[in-house]
Amino acid sequence: MSDSKDQDLNPKEIERSAEEILRVFTRVIESLPVEEETYYGQELVNPLRPDGEPSPPSVRREFRKCFISIMPASDDDGKLRVEVARWAR
Amino acid sequence: MTSKKLYCNCPTNYAEVPPNTNVCPICTGMPGAKPMMPNEGAIDAAVEISLMLGCEVVKNKPIYIQRKHYDYPDLPSGYQRTSLPIAMNGVLEGVGIREVHIEEDPGQYDPVSGTVDFNRSGVPLVEIVTEPGMRSPEEARNFLRTLTRVLEYTRKVRPEAGGAMRADVNVSLEGGGRVEVKNINSIKGAYRALKFEMQRQAERIRRGEVVTRETRAYLESQMITVPMRTKEFEEDYRYIPDPDIFPIIITEEMVERIKKQMVEPPHLREKRLARQYGISPQAARVITSERELADLFERVAAEVQPQLAADWFRTKLKKVLNYVNLKARDVRFTPTQLIRLLKLVETRKIPREHGELALRELVKEPDDPERILERLGLSPPKPEELDSVVNTVIREHKQAVCEYLEGKSEVLNFLTGKVVAASRRRADPREALAILRKKLEEIREKGI
Amino acid sequence: MGTLEKIEAIRNGELSATENVELALERIRKLNGKLNAFLEINSKAMEEAGEVDRMLKAGEAGKLAGLTIAVKSNINVKGLRATCASKTLEDYVCPYDAEVITRIRREGGIIIGMTNMDEFACGSSGETSAFGPTDNPAAPGYIPGGSSSGSAAAVASAMCDLALGTDTGGSIRNPASHCGVIGVKPTYGLVPRQGLIDLGMSLDQIGPISPDVPGSVLLLEVIAGKNQAEGMMMDVERVSYGELNGGVKGMRIGVSPQFSNLTDPRITGVIEKKVEFLKDLGAEIVEIRLPHIEQALSAYYLIVSVEFFSATRKYDGRKYGKRIESVCGEEVLRRIMLGSYISRREYRGRYYQRALQVRTLIRKELSLALKQVDAIVGPTVPKLPHKLGTRLTPLEMYAYDYLTIPANLAGTCAGVVKAGEVNGIPVGIQVQGKPLGEEKILRVMRALEVESSKSG
Repeated sequence: MSDSKDQDLNPKEIERSAEEILRVFTRVIESLPVEEETYYGQELVNPLRPDGEPSPPSVRREFRKCFISIMPASDDDGKLRVEVARWAR
Repeated sequence: MTSKKLYCNCPTNYAEVPPNTNVCPICTGMPGAKPMMPNEGAIDAAVEISLMLGCEVVKNKPIYIQRKHYDYPDLPSGYQRTSLPIAMNGVLEGVGIREVHIEEDPGQYDPVSGTVDFNRSGVPLVEIVTEPGMRSPEEARNFLRTLTRVLEYTRKVRPEAGGAMRADVNVSLEGGGRVEVKNINSIKGAYRALKFEMQRQAERIRRGEVVTRETRAYLESQMITVPMRTKEFEEDYRYIPDPDIFPIIITEEMVERIKKQMVEPPHLREKRLARQYGISPQAARVITSERELADLFERVAAEVQPQLAADWFRTKLKKVLNYVNLKARDVRFTPTQLIRLLKLVETRKIPREHGELALRELVKEPDDPERILERLGLSPPKPEELDSVVNTVIREHKQAVCEYLEGKSEVLNFLTGKVVAASRRRADPREALAILRKKLEEIREKGI
Repeated sequence: MGTLEKIEAIRNGELSATENVELALERIRKLNGKLNAFLEINSKAMEEAGEVDRMLKAGEAGKLAGLTIAVKSNINVKGLRATCASKTLEDYVCPYDAEVITRIRREGGIIIGMTNMDEFACGSSGETSAFGPTDNPAAPGYIPGGSSSGSAAAVASAMCDLALGTDTGGSIRNPASHCGVIGVKPTYGLVPRQGLIDLGMSLDQIGPISPDVPGSVLLLEVIAGKNQAEGMMMDVERVSYGELNGGVKGMRIGVSPQFSNLTDPRITGVIEKKVEFLKDLGAEIVEIRLPHIEQALSAYYLIVSVEFFSATRKYDGRKYGKRIESVCGEEVLRRIMLGSYISRREYRGRYYQRALQVRTLIRKELSLALKQVDAIVGPTVPKLPHKLGTRLTPLEMYAYDYLTIPANLAGTCAGVVKAGEVNGIPVGIQVQGKPLGEEKILRVMRALEVESSKSG
């Protein structure tokens, strides 16, 4: 895939600004007390989903059509076309 | 095998449907798609497999579902969801099991044509990580066979179904870096990849070259390994707990429930069968090769002499099954039919060779053994038929009869053999002998 | 005409759904060229309105029957483009409806179009859109705020009846404040996110933007409640906020001195007047402490960058759209870089996990404060909006979010209602509540709204 940009971004400069932000933000939180990490938006129970009857084919047929229609490239069987692996060449 | 995928409701029978049929926004990584809650069936299967491998299940502790980030065409979201260990520290026939965890399978990427089918994407996968320590490709192959048998016993996995089993193998020779080989999807493939990789590395070391630490891919068509060279695989996966999925907590109750439903692991069953029934280790190995075969054996061994049954299972039944390419779970005869057949052999109502012929028929065209024998013309002769055969033999072997009457009783065995042969081996030798003796004694008394 | 009056009119047959949609389309035709609030109009809106009219005649009208709903471009609406205002998804035609869209359709709401926003919701001004900034209808020439810029502007200019926004660090409340409209960020896990394109998965919530409080209540009642198909949801089937006009008499309302330390005194002045109102209406004003509110910003940006980095890995250009790093704007790229850097194995402990610890701290502080009161009121945005086109440094831009971020980090709820103006620019007052405390904050918001309409 090409890295050509539509716009004049300077990744080096953006990276520098990211580093600056990181420096400032880290300094701010450095001295705060150590706590457990909060990974989730809410702490809820342990939800699982029972195995069972899969979704009906009609729903998936409809999605398949849309999915294939938005693929940049596909083959006749409805497979997504992507690059050939370098190691397999 | 669950019916639904790990994080969505698409079916898991990916091999049986046209490309990109078992898909939805979730398993194709559409923008905005969120995973559903994890499929309980997959967690259960992982716990069951862990228990069978003698692992300690991680209980009452959050098991995070992590996102493992890497860029590859088969990975629709750019990360693979993989759980922290469900269980640890197991052992299977001397090989240490480091951990067991759950992953979602990526889609199927054909690296040669450059196409992707996402039918498999999101199917639950149990990953089993062993400790290093296997010393040869043969050892690895044996281990994989043993492991496959365990997985088959759970009935949750079908490792022999094409591509359902995949292995990443690591090879490290003294003086070289560790090399990981991916893209292996059969035991045979693992064996060949290991053999190739060991030779390749040994060759380099001999020539004084460096074996660098890398990831390679196995090319099945050529039976070689090639450098994978996608830097993604050496890179940092930047694991984070998936913010859309709560950690799984395995409770004591879950483990107890699974233990109750679980069957005895094959490697333990093999040892028990040998001990309990006094059968040879070889026979126990063959009998436990399939869970249904072992089940059948135990039913038979309750009614037929176990050593005899074991011998028949090992040398005859398994052969017939292999010959007609049938799994024990697919046989159509009833255990009772097999028991009755073996009882005929055990009580010498029929000779072993006829038993074998009947067994072959039993597998192909199941029926009651007596009917099969009749169908084959191998039913034991009726009394009047046996009578007439004995009469014929006596008539045709006057010399021998004279010798008997003169007191050479060992001639009786010779005549018995003749009777059995004349009955096309259907006559029971003991019965034939008894009738012969009776008739000869009559002759002695009355004369011909 | 208020939202409820309009619904009444549609029910009575004084106004048909078709006429209402025509009205909206007419406003859009007239105003959107200048405001740039919509990126795409639903070409089937009239057709859908016709269907709603038929249902109205049959007496099968849903709760939203005939209302026009604008949708932020990061929510999937089947057949329309959820571009996230990015070149990355410029051509992404949604193959499915988000759960909230399904619910809106079920109640007869008509999706009028997709609104402009900061690219992938990364921004607080509406200016990072790849398709140009949105103007502020309430204060032309100023930013409308972001990232739900188009949704707020569309409501403020009456181009739609109601709108959906999304709020990760203030993206509903910030533009609601700048545009002088109502916005609610619901409790995390109250509204389904299935179909919402991620910024920060543990922080994102979809919420309503409306011209009046009853409008937000109505839309929230339709979209809120458990969705079996996703895991991260509160155990709430449906919500219904009946006691909206109950007033604030006897309610304990918290204010914090930490707010004014961070805020433009002119804004503080407007807010303090409203606190006085609430006191006059019989609320008890209680001072609460939020000592680390300032540090929440740092933790937030580290966390959101990591989650955003992870969320954007799917934009590899293979299945749809274009590879994100190849076409995205500056702020999006900066966050991807930041997130990629601090989630590296050797740094995650130092930065990412540290930020997650601060999140715990903020959550504890806020929940402690909320234990003492029924709601907390204060400013929404600490600064007045800048003029469109003014160049701000990233840190200056982030500073807009100081006061809205804590509710996202803590997963609590918060809403905004217009409190007054400074130099003709609207200023919104933020009302924060406990997890699932929507009813209380909506009551406070409604009291403030009624009070304003009387005095204004």
